[in-house]
Amino acid sequence: MESLVYIALFAPLVSSLFAGLFAMSPRQTFVGVVSSLLLFVSFVSSVLLGYHIATTGANVHVTMMDWISVADLHIPFGFMADQVSVTMMVVVTLVSTVVHIYSIGYMDHDKSFNRFFSYLSAFVFSMLVLVMSDNFAGLFIGWEGVGVCSWLLIGFWYHKPDVSREENPSISPSWAANEAFIMNRIADLGMLVGLFIIFWNTGSLQYDVVFSQIPNLAPAVLTAAAAALFIGAMGKSAQFPLHTWLTDAMEGPTPVSALIHAATMVTAGVFLVIRANPIFSVTPEVSYFIAALGTFVAFFAASMALVNRDLKRIIAFSTLSQLGYMFAAAGLGAYWIALFHLAAHAFFKALLFLGAGNVMHAMHGELDIFKMGGLRKKMGWTYAYMGLASLALAGIPPLAGFFSKDAIIETAFNEGTLILWAMLVITAGMTAFYSFRQVFLTFLGDERYKEFGIHPHEMYGFVLIAMSPLAILAVIAGFFRDWFNSFIIHLLPNYEMSEHTHHLALILGAIVLVVAVSGIVLAYIKYAKGLQRSEKTENGFIYKLLANQYYIPKIYEALITKPYAEISKLMWTKVDIRIVDATVDGIAKTIYKSGDGSRKMQTGNLSNYLNWMAGGALVLLFITVASYVIG
Amino acid sequence: MIGLNHYLIVAGLLFAIGLIGVIRRRNLLMLFFATEIMLNAANVAFAAISHYYNDLSGQMFAFFIVAIAASEVAIGLGLLILLYKKQGTLDLDDLATMKG
Amino acid sequence: MSFILSILIFFPLIAGMLGFIVDKGSARVYGISIAAIEFLLSLWLWMNFDANSAAIQFIEFMPIVKDFGINYYVGVDGISLFLVVMTTLMTLIGMVSMTIKNEIKNMVVTILFLEMTMVGVFLALDAIVFYFFWELSLVPMLYIIGAWGGPLRVYASIKFFLYTFSGSLIMLVGMLFVAYKFHEITGVWSFAITDWYALKFDLNYQFWLFLAFFVGFAIKVPMFPFHTWLPYAHGQAPTIGSVILAAVLLKMGTYGFVRFSLPMFPDASVMMILPIAIISIIMIIYTAMVAYAQEDMKQVIAYSSVSHMGIIMLGIFAMNSQGISGSIFQMLSHGIVSGALFMLVGVIYDRTHTKIMSNFGGLATIMPKYALVFGIMLMASVGLPLTIGFVGEFLVLIGFYKVSPVLTILAGTSIIVGAIYMLALYKKSFFGAITNEENKKLKDLDSREIVSFIPLVAIVIWLGVYPKPVLTPIDNSVQAMLSFMKEKAITPEAKNMIVATQTAKEAK
Repeated sequence: MESLVYIALFAPLVSSLFAGLFAMSPRQTFVGVVSSLLLFVSFVSSVLLGYHIATTGANVHVTMMDWISVADLHIPFGFMADQVSVTMMVVVTLVSTVVHIYSIGYMDHDKSFNRFFSYLSAFVFSMLVLVMSDNFAGLFIGWEGVGVCSWLLIGFWYHKPDVSREENPSISPSWAANEAFIMNRIADLGMLVGLFIIFWNTGSLQYDVVFSQIPNLAPAVLTAAAAALFIGAMGKSAQFPLHTWLTDAMEGPTPVSALIHAATMVTAGVFLVIRANPIFSVTPEVSYFIAALGTFVAFFAASMALVNRDLKRIIAFSTLSQLGYMFAAAGLGAYWIALFHLAAHAFFKALLFLGAGNVMHAMHGELDIFKMGGLRKKMGWTYAYMGLASLALAGIPPLAGFFSKDAIIETAFNEGTLILWAMLVITAGMTAFYSFRQVFLTFLGDERYKEFGIHPHEMYGFVLIAMSPLAILAVIAGFFRDWFNSFIIHLLPNYEMSEHTHHLALILGAIVLVVAVSGIVLAYIKYAKGLQRSEKTENGFIYKLLANQYYIPKIYEALITKPYAEISKLMWTKVDIRIVDATVDGIAKTIYKSGDGSRKMQTGNLSNYLNWMAGGALVLLFITVASYVIG
Repeated sequence: MIGLNHYLIVAGLLFAIGLIGVIRRRNLLMLFFATEIMLNAANVAFAAISHYYNDLSGQMFAFFIVAIAASEVAIGLGLLILLYKKQGTLDLDDLATMKG
Repeated sequence: MSFILSILIFFPLIAGMLGFIVDKGSARVYGISIAAIEFLLSLWLWMNFDANSAAIQFIEFMPIVKDFGINYYVGVDGISLFLVVMTTLMTLIGMVSMTIKNEIKNMVVTILFLEMTMVGVFLALDAIVFYFFWELSLVPMLYIIGAWGGPLRVYASIKFFLYTFSGSLIMLVGMLFVAYKFHEITGVWSFAITDWYALKFDLNYQFWLFLAFFVGFAIKVPMFPFHTWLPYAHGQAPTIGSVILAAVLLKMGTYGFVRFSLPMFPDASVMMILPIAIISIIMIIYTAMVAYAQEDMKQVIAYSSVSHMGIIMLGIFAMNSQGISGSIFQMLSHGIVSGALFMLVGVIYDRTHTKIMSNFGGLATIMPKYALVFGIMLMASVGLPLTIGFVGEFLVLIGFYKVSPVLTILAGTSIIVGAIYMLALYKKSFFGAITNEENKKLKDLDSREIVSFIPLVAIVIWLGVYPKPVLTPIDNSVQAMLSFMKEKAITPEAKNMIVATQTAKEAK
């Protein structure tokens, strides 16, 4: 079994290095094929591991070698496959394999085809390190590794120049990449602090040691550790106020958005909370904050998705919103439901993104849904996939989203946090509305793209086949809920609804369903027949507020980015040159000047010298006498 | 009665005269004279204190000084004559060639 | 090979002297082969170094001025070993990557001479010998900047020389005073550092002596606000000068703190934790901001050096093994990474004769290999895990967290501000459209450059993934030093602060 762990982990690394060998040579299809095969190997290993764990209930734990070992700080490269990590492994490798195959078609015309596969596989490797590590430091390796791969992939088309924010809200791929990296770094500092707190209070960073120490720790320490770790999670999972990078990250190629910014990397924060659940479950304040923030982000992100016109950004906002759901569940203690939603979400969201990629490929890079419409005739399969994924996202039974999201909403009710419950229900309605607004505007109604001279075409057949596993899972994943529950509770605390909630379960489900369906119906009424734009709505305050993402990117620019640049400039030109260096030069100049001044004593006139001498002698005499008198 | 203090006052006055000469005079020859006056002022003081303490080493010192002053005058005057022959003046303001 | 340390110190000198008679055309090859032999010798030293022992090894002792206890006394322990290896490595690689054409023979001789002084500083165990090499190292550097530098070279080199020189004079006074006290107490003269370690000073003496040494070391590090010579020196120095300056010369200052200040004045060091931590944090944040404002690529890296040295200083004063071992590791890491970054700037400067970032843009398209190497070094510089840069930074921060959580969080912003200026540099130079038509014809790295970068890239990844062979000897020596300091400390505060081999739970 150990060898399966290694195969699952290192196959993507091999794939990355292999593709990296050809990074600077022209496009080679076999690079993509080999990479996809290696990823598939990793997927199969993960599934076998999962099967092993499910049947025997035993974890697989390997320690490869020591990494850092100083005094009593010992950090090994240790990897383990337990119920949680194997779930993540299967999800990650499955989505990655699909995305790799998809990319062979999608990146067909890109001259950096080989480089793309190298980055993509490197990402999968980092993600696997993140989920498989048996200690917090190893998690941090993966954490930073996925950050760098995300940076590389967002900025994949680095040659595009910067443009104004009006023209492109993300300015340029390289700008968006840097934004993502730096914002994540802010959160990573929190995460590092969390690691420090844990280490100095438990003497280890190994999960098992740390968690076994929890009963001995003071509540304040635990709260601090939980808060610090959650700050780390907020960055990676793009929670408010560190959320702006996620939509800008849509500058990356669409497969990247599907894999990194929907299915896997952004869920790392949720994974962290689930993984460290022994800490979070004993810190109710932090957990409640997580739930509240998650709910807020779910609502907040969904509201921005309502009016957005960019195909990918809508899905990005929706990802943000669903991450909020996951955090709400995790914060309320329903860790296994959060993990279940994470997996289900990975399937249908990746499918949605890949569908969007098909549309984008067909529309020659155009992303504005106001310029699309009627694509159903040309792209039947993609329409089916995206429609299916949207239904799952909206939580329509019997698709995956219904089971996972409904459970979260029910949890909120069960915990008695009715405000959170109400917000989550409203958000469910908004989710249904914006998902179908997007689907209807893209695929139904009048064919607006004709005005722009675009000739859309369906994606390659093999790509559509490659997407089918995701579509199937988006449909059936929900039926595995009870099985998954019995599988995962070996490791995670079970969460069961109270008797009271159980009685009301049908009514609660019905409320959510009604809200969701009415969202879809509203979208159908408004958009299925074609696009009717209303000047009045679009100039309204709320519309503008939402369309500009509550002006948050602009506020950040005005309050953080620009002042930072200006203060830096000031520090350099005014403080460093004018004060610090000027002082040093001033001292040097004073010495030079004093020498220059006293040089005039050297007149060459013996008489003057004698005068100086006599004066000096008198001064010395005076000092001697004075010191004699005083002392 | 003439006591030690009187001698010392005379020595001090002589020294001051010499010092003023050193400071004020511009002529090298005059500087020499002024230096001699200062040396002799010291001699007077040495001799007086030697007598006061009944210790002969002070007077021995005075003799040494007289001897050294004499040799100094001999060599110094020789140098001055040479300098006068070369430059035609002994005025220090005109002799300032080593200006820094 | 019982004289290995003397060979290491004086082989470059002798070879440098002989270099004068070498034919001009083969001076470069001569220099590279001498540096390679020297590097192999240092590797031999490492191989034969007993990694399990914290003691000083390969000691050589020869009286110079017997009556005053000045001896030629050299030895190596885990702290200095890797600094020596790094010195010889960076000299070799700097020599390989050197592109200077004029007066090449003088340059080779100067570098070999410089190598002697640097190795000497790290190996010396006698204060006078240490001081001798310490001051002597200024001369070749003065010459390198002054003779091969940019337009402001004379100003820059004189500033560098006088500034560091005046600082070390104060340090010399401190050394003489320590020797005087040693004589007063024991009745014999000695300048041996190991003898000095045994000396217990009372608090007042410790404080003033600490300050005297501090001035010498702080200017060399350079610590804020003594850092302003550095941007000029880097800005004007030729590539090879910058590489050696950043990689090795700055480390002499931090090494001095570890070798002299901590073990000799443990109580004063503990007293000074807070001021030094504040200065370090200013260094980290302030210079990172200044780096962000730069237009010249080389200046960015010069200021980033100061920022990284702040991390190193912070770790030294963490007073625990994590912090100090991390600091020493970070010295190596910064040596490799900043040296490589300066070499990379040199590559583009050789081609375009400019270092201003606005002249570039889109270089990644034209020079992919160059962009790749730069990217790896950039990631090491911002402290990405599994590169050399992370290990040291992580250890320093985790070590200092024990001292003060709040200050650690402030210092930890280095991972943010560091990313800001480095990514901004990378974006301005490598990303975006190709703005300058002339840049389209630029050639990617040639084989000579690739040869000089491959070892550095390999080390950056190797020591990031498996730092143990280097960390273990460092850690042994540091733990020995700490337990010695703990025993020596006279105030209870210092005894409590210094944690030799603690368990984390006890430390709670």
